[in-house]
Amino acid sequence: MKYESQRVAWWFFATCMLLFGLQLVYGLIMAYAHAGHDPLHPIIPFNVARAVHTNLLVVWLLTGFMGAAYFIVPEEADRELYWPKLAYVQLIALVAVGVTAIIGFHLQWWEGRKFLEIPRPLDFLVVIDVLLFIANIGMTIWKGKRMTTTSMVLFFGLLMAALLYLPGMIPTDNQTVDSYWRWWVVHLWVEGVWELIMGAILSFLLIKLTGVDREVIEKWLYVIVGFTFLSGILGTGHHYYWIGTPRYWLMIGGIFSALEPIAFLAMAIYAITMARKGGRAHPNRVALQWTVGCAVMSFVGAGFLGFAHTIPQVNRYTHGTLVTAMHGHMAFWGAYAMLVLAMISYALPLLTGRKRHDTPAASFAFWTSNVGMIAMTLAFAVAGVTQVVLERRVGMDFVTVQKEIEVHFWGLILAACLFILGVSAFIYNFIRHGKPVAELQGGAGGADDGRAAPVAEAA
Amino acid sequence: MLSKSAARAFFLGGTALCAVAFLGLTVDTFARIPAQTHQGEITDAVRRGKDLWDRSNCMGCHTLLGEGAYYAPELTKVFERRGPVFIRAMLTDPEKMYPGQRRMWKYDFSERDKDDLIAFFQWIGKMDLNGFPPKPTLAQMATTTGLATTTDRPQIFNQLCVACHSLGGQGGQVGPALDGVGNRKTPAEIAAWLADPPAIKPGTQMPKLPLTVGQRQELTAFLSTLK
Repeated sequence: MKYESQRVAWWFFATCMLLFGLQLVYGLIMAYAHAGHDPLHPIIPFNVARAVHTNLLVVWLLTGFMGAAYFIVPEEADRELYWPKLAYVQLIALVAVGVTAIIGFHLQWWEGRKFLEIPRPLDFLVVIDVLLFIANIGMTIWKGKRMTTTSMVLFFGLLMAALLYLPGMIPTDNQTVDSYWRWWVVHLWVEGVWELIMGAILSFLLIKLTGVDREVIEKWLYVIVGFTFLSGILGTGHHYYWIGTPRYWLMIGGIFSALEPIAFLAMAIYAITMARKGGRAHPNRVALQWTVGCAVMSFVGAGFLGFAHTIPQVNRYTHGTLVTAMHGHMAFWGAYAMLVLAMISYALPLLTGRKRHDTPAASFAFWTSNVGMIAMTLAFAVAGVTQVVLERRVGMDFVTVQKEIEVHFWGLILAACLFILGVSAFIYNFIRHGKPVAELQGGAGGADDGRAAPVAEAA
Repeated sequence: MLSKSAARAFFLGGTALCAVAFLGLTVDTFARIPAQTHQGEITDAVRRGKDLWDRSNCMGCHTLLGEGAYYAPELTKVFERRGPVFIRAMLTDPEKMYPGQRRMWKYDFSERDKDDLIAFFQWIGKMDLNGFPPKPTLAQMATTTGLATTTDRPQIFNQLCVACHSLGGQGGQVGPALDGVGNRKTPAEIAAWLADPPAIKPGTQMPKLPLTVGQRQELTAFLSTLK
């Protein structure tokens, strides 16, 4: 940590941990309901748990991205944040809106639109809050000593994410048009501009952790985000197969979705190559583990499973089944959750001055959560494929099929327990790091030299 | 070897090209949506139905056009599959329709709300969805009796009764199988039962269904033939 104002990132990361933990609780409620036990139905019916589970995910990932940006941008721009206090105000406002939305969901105050359930008045507050954040980051870069590719890609990723939130608010009374715009937000976020953010954060981490030349890393960053948009923009078509939109989307969506894994594969090869090439033994090995792990798991979850699920001939049968949940869980975990956890793992020792990254708990968190998530994905896969065969191919009734696949949700719950154990270890490690220290860490080092940051043991 | 400026040009050029293509396709899609979704048939009732659909977060459990959660049935073709009588009964008291099963929230829908939701489902069901949901192609191979036999049954039987009762091994498991019900009950008993089950047998799981007299007569005649 070179600048005072980077410290605000810790508060964003702490919020992430809290919201992530809560997200898992609601996930468990849903898994139990699917397994045939819904004792909480009178208080938290399934649609409430579902809205809370997915919205907490979105909010904690965005909070993580913001924390990452507040950590990365001062270092890249070589100056303090332009408005350090605004960063705190903006976090408090974000949490206030988030908490209001979560409580609102329990009182059935929402919009019934998948992933965009936040009620309309709060939508505007979210937009204002994000614009404040963008302004703060933008001014810091603008007034900074240098404008790096990494910070520019990060900035445009965040700016586009804010702008793409707007189509989701266009009013319509046609369900098809409603869905059309909704995917502009959801798809163009996760398979578009969020990948810019992902590419930029990965670049920053790889520059710091491997010591490979910035020029080389940033050149490949351009190639990767180039592939992302080349496939991802028209790949939106895979959401337009069956919603009352023209038939040509089957071909366009099919072809460009099939290209989407290339960007993720490139990201994985890039991370692995740089990690090998680097030859630097950065003491924070766990951060590099999360970084490379993120690139690999996003290829498997988002790239490969996404590809398998969006081939039109397959999607005709798997669309709207638990197969989607299988792909969704591993994709979000690999691409975005692991990215934020990688960033936290890297930044935490620098923010707090405690070198706890080489503890057994840190390694345990990485392996247990990943094995747990892989097992969860398998459980979803078995349940999903069984559902597709019985309901969509054989024509059995939905409710009868759900009874048949209940047993796989016990498998899911077991896997989820493993996953939660891993995440708990991560949160435990976060807490043990303690609060950020007053003195600056690593101010002496070169901008691109993470190792030169002498991490002092906390007194 | 690729230079950084070439990489940047690839990124900016590729993105611009795809964005322009995507915007062009969006304009064309919007020109075609009204015909493909029968936009002219969106009545005030359909509009109110969509509003209820959103406000109740039905997508938090169900899927529509295959979009939503995977906890409750896909509803794109529910009007054709279950018909208005079943939908109305379900919206009135879900747990009565599926006693002891996966639960649905009991909303306080007025009769007009139910009409509006039914109108909404009817409109959704007519859309041209490029072949979704697919026909269950293995159905004929999976059973010897096959679904073909269902065509000689009254439509209301295939929509409503089979949700809980089975016939020839096909249908729900909530109520007893209806094979041979004509041997066990007289037509008069069947007619009385259909009119108000809890009045005949207090505590029964079968709710009083909003059937018309004509529908009850049709079902009584059909059920009496099951010997």
